[in-house]
Amino acid sequence: MKILRRIFFFLLIVLVGIQFIPTKYNISNQVLDTDISKTFTVPSNIQNIFQKSCYDCHSNNTNYPWYNKIQPINWLLGNHIEKGKKEFNFSEFGTYSKRKQKSKLKSLASQIKDNEMPLGSYTLIHRNAKLSKEDKVLIKQWSTKILDSL
Amino acid sequence: MKKSIYVIALITILFSACKNDKKQTESNSMDNMQSQKMDMKDDHNHDMSMSESSLKEEKNSDAATQKNSTTSAIIDSYLQIKNALVKDSKKGASEGGKMMLIAFEKFDMTKLTDAQHIEYMDIYEDAKEQAEHIIKSPIDHQREHFENLSVDINDLIVLLGTEKTLYQSKCPMAGEGKGAIWISEFKEIKNPFFGSKMISCGSVQKQIN
Repeated sequence: MKILRRIFFFLLIVLVGIQFIPTKYNISNQVLDTDISKTFTVPSNIQNIFQKSCYDCHSNNTNYPWYNKIQPINWLLGNHIEKGKKEFNFSEFGTYSKRKQKSKLKSLASQIKDNEMPLGSYTLIHRNAKLSKEDKVLIKQWSTKILDSL
Repeated sequence: MKKSIYVIALITILFSACKNDKKQTESNSMDNMQSQKMDMKDDHNHDMSMSESSLKEEKNSDAATQKNSTTSAIIDSYLQIKNALVKDSKKGASEGGKMMLIAFEKFDMTKLTDAQHIEYMDIYEDAKEQAEHIIKSPIDHQREHFENLSVDINDLIVLLGTEKTLYQSKCPMAGEGKGAIWISEFKEIKNPFFGSKMISCGSVQKQIN
């Protein structure tokens, strides 16, 4: 009994304690020269789709939800963002080699076509990030055009 | 009464704590991989500016495929993926992907010229990613990545050569109707992009060696 109580309070302290660990944020106010919008011609309607549906995890600038302030949620989200940026980073697209740009654009198109992206767990909370049929068609047309030019 | 409240609270906290631990270790190993990759990327970007021009020269002078055995392990792993996809085997392709990562790791880069090294890194970086995806993806995704990987391996052969006799074949229906190439050790067409659905679709474009 006494032991249980001790463990309980210990964990409570840990849970409170981790709230004070400084956190890193994925926020950058400037649009880098390597951003996809500066590498290729990206019409504003396409750019808006990317911004609202992809940039949170695939760019250097995340629009964080309020609950991000709570640990360990912040760590989980941070991990998600790290992984997302490693796969595909809109902000650094210009640093990719031609070869990589090609394969990444192909993957972008097929992931969207197969409804693999944006992730269901993400659109569940970010309802407006869900892609409409029209959005998908627009992206497909755009990516085909860019791929042909590469 | 009091006891049971503590027990319940404890279980809840423990449960969530355990879950986090798992996620954390996962993320730690991811971080490690990432930092490794970043290092490589940095090296790579350094030489980016000079790569474009020198590459073209290199390509032109090496029009005929040279005999080179150092690329064999990489090509073998590619052929393993290819043959697995012909047989609609997701597992076999995944194993081929693992073989490829090992083969690239063992490849001796010290023998390459500077210009070769730059393009090799370019190919390697992409091929590695394709292989990683082939390891963990369902078969239709494996095939998409195999399409990119085929271009990489073809370029690797153009760049460094091979001791093998190979055939570059093309399937006009793959690549969303744009056509896509693959490399095979057989002259006979066995289509890796569609497998049993369209096993004989395609034609040989050229013979290597």
